[in-house]
Amino acid sequence: MAPKKIPSPQGSSKHRLPDLWRSKSTEKSLGILLKRLKQKDAASKSRGNLIEDEALEWLKPRALIKPDDQEDVPEADLDEEVGRVLTTINPNWVADEVAYHYGLGRFVAKPKPTFGKAYPLYIYQGTAIRKDSEEAKAQIAAGYGMVGFDDAGPKRAKVKKSAAEEEEEEEPEPEPQPPEEAKAEEDAVADEEKPGEAVEGPHEPEPVADDLEATAGDVGEEPEGDEKDESKDTGEEVLEIKPRVKKLANQFNFCERAALTYNFPRRSVDTQTIPPPRANYGSTALQCIIFDYYQEDYARKQREKEEDKPKRLRKKTAKHVKSAQQIHDEQLAQRIREAWTILERLVNQNIYDDIAQDYRYWDDPSDEFREGMGSLLPLWRFQFEPMRSHAVCDVQWNPHYQDLFAVAYGSLDFTSQQKTGCLCLYSIKNPAYPEYAVVTDSPVICLDVYKETPYLICVGLYDGNVCVYNAQLTLESSYQYKSDSVRDKHSNIVWEVRWGARLIDGESTFFSISGDGRVVQWAVMPGELQATTIITLTSNVPPIPGPDGTMINVNSCGSCICFHPEKPDIFMVGTEDGMIHTCSLKYNRNYVRSVQGHHMPVYRINYNYFNNSIYASCSGDWRVKIWEDGREEPLFMFELGAAVGDVKWAPYSSTVFAACTADGKVYVYDLNVNKYRPICVQAVVSKKTKKLTRIDFNTRLPVIVCGDTKGTCHVLKLSPNLRVMCKPPKKAQGVDQRTLQIMKLDKLLSLVRDPPYQTGVVDEKFDDD
Amino acid sequence: MAEEGAATQGGAEKVVHTYPLIRHSDMSEEMRTEAVELSVTACEKFAQNNELAARMVKESMDKKFGPAFHVVVGESYGFEITYECTTICYMYFGGNQAICIWKCS
Repeated sequence: MAPKKIPSPQGSSKHRLPDLWRSKSTEKSLGILLKRLKQKDAASKSRGNLIEDEALEWLKPRALIKPDDQEDVPEADLDEEVGRVLTTINPNWVADEVAYHYGLGRFVAKPKPTFGKAYPLYIYQGTAIRKDSEEAKAQIAAGYGMVGFDDAGPKRAKVKKSAAEEEEEEEPEPEPQPPEEAKAEEDAVADEEKPGEAVEGPHEPEPVADDLEATAGDVGEEPEGDEKDESKDTGEEVLEIKPRVKKLANQFNFCERAALTYNFPRRSVDTQTIPPPRANYGSTALQCIIFDYYQEDYARKQREKEEDKPKRLRKKTAKHVKSAQQIHDEQLAQRIREAWTILERLVNQNIYDDIAQDYRYWDDPSDEFREGMGSLLPLWRFQFEPMRSHAVCDVQWNPHYQDLFAVAYGSLDFTSQQKTGCLCLYSIKNPAYPEYAVVTDSPVICLDVYKETPYLICVGLYDGNVCVYNAQLTLESSYQYKSDSVRDKHSNIVWEVRWGARLIDGESTFFSISGDGRVVQWAVMPGELQATTIITLTSNVPPIPGPDGTMINVNSCGSCICFHPEKPDIFMVGTEDGMIHTCSLKYNRNYVRSVQGHHMPVYRINYNYFNNSIYASCSGDWRVKIWEDGREEPLFMFELGAAVGDVKWAPYSSTVFAACTADGKVYVYDLNVNKYRPICVQAVVSKKTKKLTRIDFNTRLPVIVCGDTKGTCHVLKLSPNLRVMCKPPKKAQGVDQRTLQIMKLDKLLSLVRDPPYQTGVVDEKFDDD
Repeated sequence: MAEEGAATQGGAEKVVHTYPLIRHSDMSEEMRTEAVELSVTACEKFAQNNELAARMVKESMDKKFGPAFHVVVGESYGFEITYECTTICYMYFGGNQAICIWKCS
C-alpha cells in the first residue's frame, strides 16, 4: 500500500540531489504531507511485525511476567491500530476570525492561510541515523543494528559497497520515524522539493523491487541465502554479526523485570560515655553575707600583708619599734648601770676597806722617829685586764676630780710593739675596773687632760696620730677628733701632748712633740683637727749626704715638751740627744735658749709650781737635774742609778719632787730637807720584771700614782715627812702657805746659786722682740 | 586589682570593698581568671542591668569554654544548682553583687 507512493520523492530527490539522500538533514526536510503517508506505512509495519511475532511464537517460550494489578485488555483492543495522523490543518486556526480592515473601514474575515505555507511549530533534533549511512554501517558492523527479535543464532551481514545506493532506497520502510522526527528544518528546502516530487513520480517502480528484495533479506534470511550472496559478490566483506535482540515493547502492554535483594536486618548499637561528673552547690547571696565575707577577706588580707611585708622592711620597722624599746632599755640600762656602779663601788670599798682607811687616816708613825725621812704607803693597784701586757705610758690625775686619773696604755718595748692601746680613766673609788676605757688601734704613748673641760683628753699615738677623746661620749664613738693619717700626722711616735692656750678665735689647741722633730699645734676645729707646725727641731749634726747626692738635714728627735706655767708662748722641749730647748711660739726657726741638759734622751721636763724659773728634767742618763732659767748649769743634779722615767714637782711644796726609775723605785726629794739625798726611796715594783714609767702627784690629796710596764698603776700615799708644810716664822704669822713656799725655795736657791742670779733673762729677751 | 574606696566616717573605719572576691570555685586557674575578668568587665559595663551582664558573661564563657554555661548575677538570691565539676565559680563583686557561673548541659 504505502510503499508505492513513497519512492516518488526519493526518486526526485535522488534525481536532483543524489548525495543529499545519505544525510540526515535531507531526510528531515521532508514535507508534512509526506510525513502523513509515512506514518500510515509505519503503522502497517508495526502491525506486520506483530503478525510475524505470532507466527514465530513456537520458537521461543513466552513468559511474560505481568503485575497482578495490570488491567486486562482484550486482545482485539491490543491489535487495534491506532493511527497517528498529521494534518495540514492548523488546529489552532479559527475559521471565522475577523479583523478590522483599515482600508475598507470594516471588519472582514481573515483569509485562510495559504496552502503550503508551513510554520515550524516544533523542532526536534533527532538522534536516529539512516541505516544505509556510513555511520550506520559502521555501527552494524560493530554489532549494533536493528534486527528482528526472532533471529536467535549468529548471523552474517553482508555489506556491499557497491550496493550502497540501493540500500539507501530501502530505508523509508524499516525506519518510518526519521521523516517524522525531522519534520522540517529548513522551510526553503522543503518548498523546493515539493514540486519535484510530483514531477518525478514515474521513476518509482525500480527502487520498490529492490526494496522488497532487501526487506526479504533483512527479515528472515536463511544462512544459505547469505552465503549465496557472498558467493555472488566476491568483493563483499562478510561480517559475523552476533545475535542481538532488540525488543520493541508495546508501550501499553509491557512488563518489567526486577529483582530485589534481601534487606539486611537493622541493628542499633550504641555506646554511652560516662557523663561528666556533677556536683551540687547551693548558697544564698544576701547583702549582709556579701558584706561579711568582704570584711572577713579584708581582715585576712591585712594580716597577710603584715606577714608578707619584705623582711627588710619588717626588720626596719621592727628595728624602729625596737629603738623605741631600746630607748627605754637604754634608759633602764643606764639607771641599772648607775646602780651597779654604786653597788660595785660599795663592794669594792668593802673589799678594800682597810686600804681606804689607810688612805684616809693612816700616817706612818715611824716618821716621827726618823727625822727627815719618809715612806710611801702602797694603796691600790689598778689593772685593766685586757691591758695586762701593755705598759703604762702616761698617767695623769684629773685636774677637776681628785679621785680620777687617766692612764695611757701603750708599749715601751719597741722590739715587740703591741697592736692596740687603751685609754682608761680610773677612780680610786673603784680599783677593780676603769670608769672609762677605750681601746685604740695604736698604742697610746701620751695623754693630757684638758683643764678647762676635764672630759676632753688628747692622746698621742705610737703611729704618729693625735686624737681627742671625749670621756662623756659613749664608747662607740671612740674618738671625737683624730688627726688626718695622710695629711698631717706625725711621722714618728708622738712622745708628749700638752693642751695649750686657746687661740684668738677661741678654739682649743694642743701641742704635740714627736720623734720626727716637729712640734705641731693642733687646733680643735669643729669636726677636725687643724695642724700647724710650730717648730722643727734642728740638730747640730751637719747634713748628711742622701742616696742621690742630696743633703739631708737631720732633725733632732723631740721627746718631751713643757709649757711655761705663766707664759703660754714659752715652752721647753727635750730631745733625744739630750738638749733642752727653750722655744717660743713666735719663732719657728730659732730657739730662745738651748741647753745641753743630758747625755741621753730627756724624758720629762717639769716646771716648779711655785717658781716659774725653776724646772726639773729627767733623762735616760740616770740623772735628774734642777734647772733655773737662764742658767747653763743645773742647780741640782741627782744620780738615781737607773733611767729616770719621770720627774714631777710636788704641788704642795716648792722643794719636793718625785722621780720614778726603771728599776722600779720611786724617789722623793725634799731639797729643803736634804739637798743631796732623797728623803724617800721606795721600791714599788720588782726591778727584775717591771719598770716604773710615769709618776704624778695628786693636786689635792697626799697620794701619787705611778705606772709600770706591766699595765699596773700604783697609788702610793706619802708619809707625813714627805709632805711637810712650811711653818710660818714667828715674825710673819699671817703669811700664807704659797708665799712661804716661794720664800723657802728662794732661800734655798740663794744658797745654791753660784753666780748671782740674773733675773728676767727670758723676759728681757722677749722684751726685745 | 583590689581597689578599696576608703570612706572613713567619724573615726570608725568603714571600708567599701569593690574588688572581685571568689567565694567558691573549683575552676582551673585559667578558667577562673577568665571568669573573674569577664564578670568584672560585664558588671562594670552593665552596672544597671544584671541581665545583660549575665548574658555577656554567659556568651563569652560559652565561646571560650564550650556551651551550656549558666550565669546568675544579682544582689540577693539563693540557689541550689547541679554543675559539672570544675566549672563553678561563685563570687562577689562590687561589694553588693553575687555572680554565680556554672556549666551544666
